[in-house]
Amino acid sequence: MKIKAQYAMVLNLDKCIGCHTCSIPCKNVWTNREGAEYMWFNNVECKPGIGYPKRWENQEVYRGGWEMRRGGLRLKAGGRLHKGLNIFHNPDLPTIDDYYEPWNYDYARLIESPQRKHQPSVRPHSRLTGEPIKLKWGPNWEDDLAGLGETGAGDANFKNLEIATYLQFRNVFMFWLPRLCEHCLNPACVASCPSGALYKRDEDGIVLVDQERCRGWRYCVSGCPYKKVYFNWKTGRAEKCIFCYPRIEAGLTTLCAHSCVGRIRYVGVLLYDADRIAETAAVASDQAVYPAHLEILLDPNDPDVERRAAAQGIAPNMLAAAKRSPTYALIKAWRLALPLHPEFRTLPMVWYVPPLSPVSSQVEPSRELDTIDHMRIPMTYLANLLTAGDEAPVRTALKRLSAVRQYMRTQRVEKGSDTEVLDAVGLDEETVGKMYRLLALARLEDRFVLPTKPVQDNDNYARQGCCGFGQAV
Amino acid sequence: MDLLYTLVFTVFPYLCLTTFVVGHGYRYVTDRFGWNARSSEFLEKKALLPGSVLFHWGIVFTFLGHAGGLLIPQRVFDFFGIDSQTHLTIAYWSGLAVGLAAFVGVLLLLRRRLTHPRVQAVNRLNDTITIGALVVVVGAGIFNVIFGHFNVLVTVAPWIRGIVTFTPDAMLMETVPLSYKIHVIAAWTLLGFSPFSRLVHIWSLPLTYFFRSHILFRRRVPTPWAPRSIR
Repeated sequence: MKIKAQYAMVLNLDKCIGCHTCSIPCKNVWTNREGAEYMWFNNVECKPGIGYPKRWENQEVYRGGWEMRRGGLRLKAGGRLHKGLNIFHNPDLPTIDDYYEPWNYDYARLIESPQRKHQPSVRPHSRLTGEPIKLKWGPNWEDDLAGLGETGAGDANFKNLEIATYLQFRNVFMFWLPRLCEHCLNPACVASCPSGALYKRDEDGIVLVDQERCRGWRYCVSGCPYKKVYFNWKTGRAEKCIFCYPRIEAGLTTLCAHSCVGRIRYVGVLLYDADRIAETAAVASDQAVYPAHLEILLDPNDPDVERRAAAQGIAPNMLAAAKRSPTYALIKAWRLALPLHPEFRTLPMVWYVPPLSPVSSQVEPSRELDTIDHMRIPMTYLANLLTAGDEAPVRTALKRLSAVRQYMRTQRVEKGSDTEVLDAVGLDEETVGKMYRLLALARLEDRFVLPTKPVQDNDNYARQGCCGFGQAV
Repeated sequence: MDLLYTLVFTVFPYLCLTTFVVGHGYRYVTDRFGWNARSSEFLEKKALLPGSVLFHWGIVFTFLGHAGGLLIPQRVFDFFGIDSQTHLTIAYWSGLAVGLAAFVGVLLLLRRRLTHPRVQAVNRLNDTITIGALVVVVGAGIFNVIFGHFNVLVTVAPWIRGIVTFTPDAMLMETVPLSYKIHVIAAWTLLGFSPFSRLVHIWSLPLTYFFRSHILFRRRVPTPWAPRSIR
C-alpha cells in the first residue's frame, strides 16, 4: 500500500445559484493576461447545455481521457506512436472558436465622440486581431438556458433520454455546474504530454504545468477530457488551474472556494492508495469506476492507515487535516458527493453533490422520499453526468439530502424527531447533525481544512513580483 | 579569389557553426520560457494541416537524406555495392519527392502566415524571417534537384565532411554552380540563425515520451543550487 495525500474539492450543486462569483477572483488573479483572456480556470456552466468549450463532454469530438481498448487502459486519442506521428498537426485539438474569440469594447468612443444627433455606441473588437467582430458565442453564452433550443441536442448527458421532451417549456429543467481542473489521480493530460512538463505534486496531488519545460505540443489540451488545460496563444504554452497552490501552501483555500457566496465548496485532504490507481482506472465497465475509485480512498481514522501513512512520510499536519477532512465525509463516509464523468477514467478529485429540484407536478406521491424519482431534473441526466449512468448512487445521495431536510424540519418546526425517515436512508441522528452543520451552516473552518506547508526556502520575498506565469518584465 | 572562397566556404561555415552551438546554449540558459514551437494551430487549424504535415515530414526526410548522402563517404556506399551513379539516381528521386513535399509545405505555411489575420496577430518579424529563410533554402535545394544535375559527391560532399572533421578545403567548391552555392550559404545562415528563432523546438523532439511512465510525480525538494533562475 503506497499512501499519498491529495487535496480534493466537493461542490454542493444543491446550493449553487450560478452567480459566477467563483470565476471572477480566479480570472482576476490568474488569467488576466494577453493570451489567457479566453481561459477560465474556473467557469460555471448552465446545464443542460454543451458547455465550455463547446461539447467538451462528448469524447467522440476531442477524444480526451482514457478508454479500455485491446484489454488495457489506453489514451482515447491514441498512444505514444500515434502522438509522435501526429505531432505536426494534432487532429483532436480544439481551436479558440470552440471556446470563444475574446473581445473588448472601445470605451474611449463614448467619451471622445464629438457631439452628434445620436449617442455613440461601443462595438466589440477581437482581442486577437483587433478587428471588429460579431458576437456569436462567448463565456456563459448558455446562461439561464439561453439558446437551449439550438444547442440542447448536443448535450451528451441526455443519453437514454428523450431530448425533445426536455426541451419543451413545461418540462425544462436547469442547474449549475461550476467546473475547474479535477486534479485527477490518473490525469490524461500528464500522460499525454510529450515533454513531461505536466506533473502531479507528490505532496498534495496538485497537477501543474512546468512553464519552462512546456514546448507547446498541445496534446494535454486535447488529452484532458474535461478540457481544463488551455493553450496560451501568445506564449505558445499550456496553462491550467493551479488549485491556487500559493494560497494552499499558506493554509488558505482556493480563490473560487473562498469567494463562493453560496458556500457550496469544500476543500480537504484525502488519503489514497497509489498502488491501486492502475487497476482502479482499468476496471471492466464504466459504471464500476466510481465504486472502485471510492475503494482506494483510505479512511484516515483507521489506525493501520495512519501508521503506514506516517511511516511513508506523510506530514503530521497533513494527516491531522485528513482526519477532519470535509471532503472525506462528503465523498466516502456519507456518499453524498459523486465524481464528474467517472467514465473518462482519469479518477477526478473534484466531486459534486447532486442537486435536488422541484417535484414535477404530474405526480402526487404518497411519501416524500418517493418524490426523488419525480424531480424536474431527470435522475438519468444526473447519473449520466456523475456516475456513468448508474442511477443508484445518485438516488442514494438525493434521498439522504432530502432526509436531512425532513429530519431537521421535524426537529425545528414540529419539535419532534422523525428518525424513521433516517432509517430509510441508512443514517443516524448524529451523522445527520454533522451533515446539517456541514451542508446548511457550512462554516468556513468546517468547509476548508488545509494544513500549511512547512517553509522550505526563504527567498519568497526576493521572488515577489517576479515569478508566475508571465515572463519577468 | 582564394581568399574569397576561404571566407565564404571556410570562415563563414565555422562562424555559423559557432553561433549555432553557443547560441543554443545561450538561449537555453537565458530564455527557457521562450523555448518552444510557438504553435498557432489553436488559432488556425485548417490551413495548417496540409502545410505543416507536408513541410515537417518533407524536411525530416530531406535532413536524413542530406546526412546520409553528404556525411557518409562514397567509398562506404561502394563497399555496399552502390556506385556513385546509382547513389545520385537514388538521391535524385528521393530528394525530388521529399524536397517537393517540404517546398510545397513551406509555401503553404508562408501563405497562411501572410494572409490569415489570426496567424498575423501572433506573428513576429523573427517568424517571418525564419520561414522566409526556409523558403530560400528549400527552394534553392529543390531547384538544384530539378535543374542542377551536378555531381555533388566529389565536390560538396567532401567539402562538408572537411568542415565536420576540421580539415576544411574551400577550393572544393570552386567548380560548384551558383545555385548550389546559394543553397549552402543560405543553409549555413539559417543554421546560425536558428538558435534565435522558433526552430529551437527541433531540439525538444520528445524522444523520452516513448519510454517514460504515463503519470509523473514531482516532489518539492529544497535545492541549494536553485535550478530556476530568478530574474
